[in-house]
Amino acid sequence: MAKQSRVFASALALTLSISALAGCSSGGGNNNGNASQSPSGSASAPASSVASAAKDTITALLPPVSATYQDNFEQMAKDFNALYPNLTLKIEPASWEDMTQKLDTQVNAGSPPDIAFIPSASVSKYVQQGVLMDITDAATPEMVGDFETAPLEYMKNGTGLYGFPAYMEIHALGGNKQFLEEAGIDWKSVQKNGWTYDEFREAIKKGVVKDGNKTTRYGFVFANAGVASKDYLGILVKNAGMPSAFTKDLKYAYTSKNYLEVLKDVRQLIDDGSMPKELSSIDAGKRWNMFLTGQTMITGKGLATFENSANKNNEKLKANDGSAVEGSIPVDYIVLPVPSFLGQPAVSSPAVDGYVTFRGKKEPTPEHKANVVKAAYFLASGKVAAMTNNELFVAHITKSGKEAAASMTVNRNPDNAAAVEVLLSHAAPARPDIPPELGAKAIKLEDEVIVPKFQALLANEIKPEEMYEAVKSAAIKEFGQDGVVTD
Amino acid sequence: MAQLARTIKRRLLHGDAAWAYAFIAIALLVYAMFTAYPVVSAFMISFQEYKPLGSTYVGFENYVNSFGDSLFWKSIRNTIVYTLLTVPVSLLLSFAVAILILPFKKRLQTAFKAVYYLPAVASGVAMSVVWLWIYDPLPSGLMNRLLDVFGIGNQNWLGSSATAMFSLVLMAWLSSHGTSIIIYLAALLGIDNSYYEAADLDGASFFQKLWHVVVPFLRPTTLFLLVTGVIGSFQVFQNAYLMTGGGPDNATTMVGLLIFNNAFKYFEYGEAAAQSLVLALIIAVISYFQFRFLGKDVEY
Repeated sequence: MAKQSRVFASALALTLSISALAGCSSGGGNNNGNASQSPSGSASAPASSVASAAKDTITALLPPVSATYQDNFEQMAKDFNALYPNLTLKIEPASWEDMTQKLDTQVNAGSPPDIAFIPSASVSKYVQQGVLMDITDAATPEMVGDFETAPLEYMKNGTGLYGFPAYMEIHALGGNKQFLEEAGIDWKSVQKNGWTYDEFREAIKKGVVKDGNKTTRYGFVFANAGVASKDYLGILVKNAGMPSAFTKDLKYAYTSKNYLEVLKDVRQLIDDGSMPKELSSIDAGKRWNMFLTGQTMITGKGLATFENSANKNNEKLKANDGSAVEGSIPVDYIVLPVPSFLGQPAVSSPAVDGYVTFRGKKEPTPEHKANVVKAAYFLASGKVAAMTNNELFVAHITKSGKEAAASMTVNRNPDNAAAVEVLLSHAAPARPDIPPELGAKAIKLEDEVIVPKFQALLANEIKPEEMYEAVKSAAIKEFGQDGVVTD
Repeated sequence: MAQLARTIKRRLLHGDAAWAYAFIAIALLVYAMFTAYPVVSAFMISFQEYKPLGSTYVGFENYVNSFGDSLFWKSIRNTIVYTLLTVPVSLLLSFAVAILILPFKKRLQTAFKAVYYLPAVASGVAMSVVWLWIYDPLPSGLMNRLLDVFGIGNQNWLGSSATAMFSLVLMAWLSSHGTSIIIYLAALLGIDNSYYEAADLDGASFFQKLWHVVVPFLRPTTLFLLVTGVIGSFQVFQNAYLMTGGGPDNATTMVGLLIFNNAFKYFEYGEAAAQSLVLALIIAVISYFQFRFLGKDVEY
């Protein structure tokens, strides 16, 4: 009996060990092997010219880009397989919260997915790590020609192209039509012609409603906490002659005197009482709640899809649906531009997200590279792009997407659609010329100096001049006296 | 000699010792894989500029950069302040609650232990969301409403340098004492009643019994909780990450958060590994002094 127990215990222990080891096994990989097993063409030949019918699997890590995006994964895989019978598109879904962590874990294990949906702003970070796959030679002229130039540029770094963009969305402001009109703001004119900081300041002052000493409605609330902590200042400075953190001659731009003036203006809007003094703690969810419940006339940042969210909430209110936001009122969402500062031209902030192509430890074969490009293009164009972008209320950036969307109906305010077109026309251009090392330094400076100091400025703990000096000295330390703008 | 070797070999392979080694080997394997290997790996990475597809050796550069980084020192200072404010008060609160629970019958004691342990079972993220709601900066926020009752104006709890650290400390004070309470209660139940009876005969008051009987008997328990509490507090990450993100003006950037940012935000694994090892060294030194000065009469 004792012997049996020992044998049983040993078997259990062995099982435990094996299961522990099994967890460490490398079952991933980006399927380079599949393609390399097939008879390959010349290694030096451009991948686009390699005609291979060998079976291959392309993996993609995709978040819920739009509300129903992940519901369509099965259909997407089927459609792709119908188009390329030798290829399998294997999609791994991820939540927005998990996306970065999942991707980074796979990247650090040396086996990232072939394609991941990420912001173009992250391209330089992964280029620096050497884990992105340059598809310049694999993307056919037809594929490249299908995209608008401006968003495609965002997927470049240096001379390399690292994927295809899904959309180019403008970070704007959003207004409550009723409140704007009550405040006497000609929002249609603002949509067409923009506004200066002074005009904006006066407008949001008119939007403030008080009950005694208590403010019941602010003129303007912008999310500044959590993930939104970088947005506000980043969007404003683009309209103050600093469309990028670096000038064209690669000097750090935020040491310009204009930067200081924007900081002063930020403080001024709070001191006016047009914005809440607790602004530094208001996150994206809170300010959207404030907008829907009538506690602010204008909110930021405003995305095109917010119109859709507001419309849906309006429908719920009309239908007495209990899932409508508590205390909310019907809102007609109006897209508004960000004001311009110091006589500088308005430059809108685009957010370009897309299908970025990765490589693992092994050099991908030309066949596999060409197959990955096919999958990335399939996801970023045509029917998939049309459905996704329509759902997000964002403009189509591919000819094939526009064609596919022609037969689809979107319940969108035409004034807003026209306003977005205006904003897209003066969107900040991509800067693939900024070396990844320089970009990484700027991001770290933003995270460790600008964002913390800006929070302190919003909380009225430091003066604009103090923040400016802190940013300037950190920038000089990082980029050198000659590496920063002096004016 | 050969006879001795044969005897040892026989005992090792055929006696109960063989089974013992087999079972120890499993634990050792798991320890080697999931504890020792990552530590050794971190040590090696701390001398590299780490990249997934090939790292380069950079000597002590990551250590030099860390020591020259003012934010690193600020994060250490923040972590020490947080530890000094949270650990002693948390121990005191746990001790007080354990003393209050002690006189109850076993069933009621168990109920209280379960209630106090509940936050440890709940998701830390969910708890943080609740606290974010409590610290809502607008006048409608729960804490601000409470202050309003006393005529105090509303506070920007997590958005102001004056209150952000205190907000995190308050959160630590008011949650997650369950483990300490259970350990203290177990230790209190281990004190023989004869000591209390002797103290009663001497006419000792409640506080005299507390000071002269309970506190000395609980010294090993307190030392254990103090050491583990300080270690846990030095590694604090979740609250700062979820509640303040380290702000405002880095007033709540703890060293754990800084390491996380360096590793997973900027991909500077070398610097993050170097900072992790410095943190481990600091914790080891503090633990040594805790044992040296507080553990003189304590035996484990």
